[in-house]
Amino acid sequence: MNELPQQLVNGLLLGSMYGLVAIGYTMVYGIVQLINFAHGEIFMTGAFGALSVYLWVVPSGTTMWIALPLMLIGAILVAVLVAIGAERFAYRPLRGAPRLAPLITAIGLSLALQQAVWAWYPEAKSARTFPQIDGGPFHIGDVTIQTGDVFLLVAAPISMAVLAYFVMKTRTGRGMQATAQDPDTAKLMGVNTDRIIVIAFALGAAFAAIGGVAYGLKYGQIDYRMGFILGLKAFTAAVLGGIGNIYGAMIGGVVLGIAETLATAYIADIPGMDKFGSQSWADVWAFVLLILVLLFRPQGLLGERVADRA
Amino acid sequence: MRQRSLIAITAALSAGALTLTACGSRNSDDKGSDSGGGTTVTIGVDAPLTGDLSALGLGIKNSVDLAAKTANKQKLVDGVTFKIQALDDQAQPSSGQQNATKLVADKTVLGVVGPLNSSVAESMQKVFDDAKLVEVSPANTNPALTQGTDWATSKKRVYKSYFRTATTDAIQGPFAAQYLINDAKKKKVFVIDDKKTYGAGLAGTFTAEFKKLGGAVAGTEHINPDSKDFSAIATKVKNSGADVVYYGGEYPQAGPLSKQIKAAGAKIPVVGGDGIYSADFIKLAGASATGDLATSVGAPVEQLPSAKEFVANYKNGGYKEAYEAYGGYSYDSAWAIIEAVKKVVDDNGGKLPDDARAKVTAAMQNVSFDGVTGKVSFDEFGDATNKQLTVYAVENGTWKPVKSGTYSG
Amino acid sequence: MNAIGPVEPGEGTQDHPLTNPGTPGILATTAAARPLTRLYAAHRRAVHTLLAAVLLLAGGGYLYATRPPATPPTTAELPYPAQTVDVSYLGEVNVPPGTRPRTFAFEVLLGVQSGPAVTVTRVTQPYDGLSLTSAPRAPFRTESGAARKIVVTMHVTECGKVPRDAGLPFMDVTLRNARAIQVQSFILGPRYAHDLSHALQVACSNDFP
Repeated sequence: MNELPQQLVNGLLLGSMYGLVAIGYTMVYGIVQLINFAHGEIFMTGAFGALSVYLWVVPSGTTMWIALPLMLIGAILVAVLVAIGAERFAYRPLRGAPRLAPLITAIGLSLALQQAVWAWYPEAKSARTFPQIDGGPFHIGDVTIQTGDVFLLVAAPISMAVLAYFVMKTRTGRGMQATAQDPDTAKLMGVNTDRIIVIAFALGAAFAAIGGVAYGLKYGQIDYRMGFILGLKAFTAAVLGGIGNIYGAMIGGVVLGIAETLATAYIADIPGMDKFGSQSWADVWAFVLLILVLLFRPQGLLGERVADRA
Repeated sequence: MRQRSLIAITAALSAGALTLTACGSRNSDDKGSDSGGGTTVTIGVDAPLTGDLSALGLGIKNSVDLAAKTANKQKLVDGVTFKIQALDDQAQPSSGQQNATKLVADKTVLGVVGPLNSSVAESMQKVFDDAKLVEVSPANTNPALTQGTDWATSKKRVYKSYFRTATTDAIQGPFAAQYLINDAKKKKVFVIDDKKTYGAGLAGTFTAEFKKLGGAVAGTEHINPDSKDFSAIATKVKNSGADVVYYGGEYPQAGPLSKQIKAAGAKIPVVGGDGIYSADFIKLAGASATGDLATSVGAPVEQLPSAKEFVANYKNGGYKEAYEAYGGYSYDSAWAIIEAVKKVVDDNGGKLPDDARAKVTAAMQNVSFDGVTGKVSFDEFGDATNKQLTVYAVENGTWKPVKSGTYSG
Repeated sequence: MNAIGPVEPGEGTQDHPLTNPGTPGILATTAAARPLTRLYAAHRRAVHTLLAAVLLLAGGGYLYATRPPATPPTTAELPYPAQTVDVSYLGEVNVPPGTRPRTFAFEVLLGVQSGPAVTVTRVTQPYDGLSLTSAPRAPFRTESGAARKIVVTMHVTECGKVPRDAGLPFMDVTLRNARAIQVQSFILGPRYAHDLSHALQVACSNDFP
């Protein structure tokens, strides 16, 4: 049986999740040149927001088809609130400060959010189980797709399409583009840049929240540390795709996810490489790929299309 | 230009952060009941009290606390009150070593229960041995900790202050192999481990015996413990044609791994050691975990009257967390320290001698009592002489014992 | 600005939104206190009696609720047989001349440390291709504190189905005492492993390469 299609799907799924989180990194960077390291934790709070809705808002026994949209709303609400709060109280006061100050603040905020969930969310000291969608897996030829993954397969492209429409066609989206290109001129042209920045944070958080729900559905559990490694991977994906470019974030995510999966699956089969092939080496190969891409295209895969920066 | 250098800095930072996941330590002090005057003896506890493995770690801490309180209530050692000091190692060797140094510095500490992880134990052993402070682990199963790194060929004890109440992987891995070949009639195994001291060691002893018994290894894989995505591995397992998976590692990874293997379409049991014998494994692996197996040290609790009493006392103790896989062993480890202290105090006319630590370490070698897990005493390497093992299977959402064995080598 | 935790508490960032008593509650009680004062003035004695009764009930209830749990009956339970039995490996013994080929025998010592007498109802070993008999033939009974030697004779029925080099082979012994019947695997250690492998290699020397 040919394993490749299944492994590609595995990589695509993992990569779509990286991509959803990477959008937040890339949008915020595109507009304020800040790498929001707390974004991984916004992803995490989104997942916990969805779990809270499931546990305390939706009556128990509700089918997931009704509960899931409510959980999504809860996830987005929590993540957006946290992101806006972070922007207002942690980053805005530092807007004129040297670049490294907000960066360090972001790292501190990331730790604070992790510890807050650890300390105050009920039973979050270890992993909490996440509700699952019933129904068996789907088989398409050799490929098996889990019910929980269907959400990701549907949500990721729709999110991208909505985002593209928003950035390209709406007034606010154009304002974002303008702010990304030249904030001072945009301000002179009547764009409310403070508002645009808040919207960028909020949009990134909303996509991260969708990613958080997808994570819970895919793995069946969430924990307070889930955003840390995933956030780093998503940041890597954003750099790989060209930071500042929203399509680059998704493409970078998918490339990274597939690279990791294929490295796990196939490197061990290369003669003499069996020691470097297991999953514990997959990150190494993913970063080798990142370095190679940055060597030949320092701006990332799609980094040059400045006009699309949002 | 400035932007690019910023990206370079952050990329470097993120790479650094990847290697430095979760450092630092958090302490939580717990005091036993302060009844009575006289000397206070502290029993140190080192276990992961936060993070993925905290379910097991908190079970260890609570069980030691129960032992200390019971000894105080019974006034077992005249004029001595026991209290515990629990430190969190977060399953990190570096934190474990810091904790060891801290416990050594506290002069009232006469014995330490812990740690959970063999890799953490490796970083602590020398610190304790230099201070002649006795350490009893309820959970370390790596044979090298007592019998030296060449344990397979020539056994040699390295640290005189290290003891354990748990059975080693040298027995646990082969026992699982025997069960799978002879009782479960499995022929082809896919071996996965997490590359840590415990997981890799267990997978190694298992694989060796499985091959000796005529079984085939369909593939091997090492997971990244920080990841939760094992879909690539699950697909490999499915296509390998294996009829069983052996996982050397712990439940935070084993649960999702089992779930994802089943989801990929490989309806084969996942088998592991005591590191996956936890209710949390079943919680994380979900409904498809039915039929998964774990070997764990000790006889099933319901077969030991002493264990029943422990379970009842633990319940009455009002602890929030379950005692988990190592509760009984932790209680016995703490009780062994208490017995050793009692011996030293009795020999010294009712009070602690100046070189109490060295004396307690020496007394530990001859400790013998009927504990929660059966008879507790130690052999010349510091290993438990009571070596019982049980194979458990997941059935209706709980672990059910299916086969027990006694080692009498 | 010190940004610890979510600045604006969102859903789920607090334990329960309901545990946060708002100010309206306090206002409500002060408003309701006025008629209560009037009531108190009118029926001072009745209120005092009622209060005393409530206190008494509460105190009694508290004492009742926190009474020490009834100590469970401490009938000394009998131990499970596997917890009282020791089996150790003694060594290889010669089979009497004239037995069928591919047969070898070992001697083990079974001791009952404590508890009630234990009956061995069955001795087996787990490998296909090997059959096993014991002398004395099971079932046999061993008293507490006693030990007896058992000669275990094994016969290879099919060389293809025996482990040539088992590291920790064991014997399954079915034990019965007044408490329970259970099958316990006794792993007899490296010396038994070595002797068994050696015996199997001799017995199957024609089949093993």
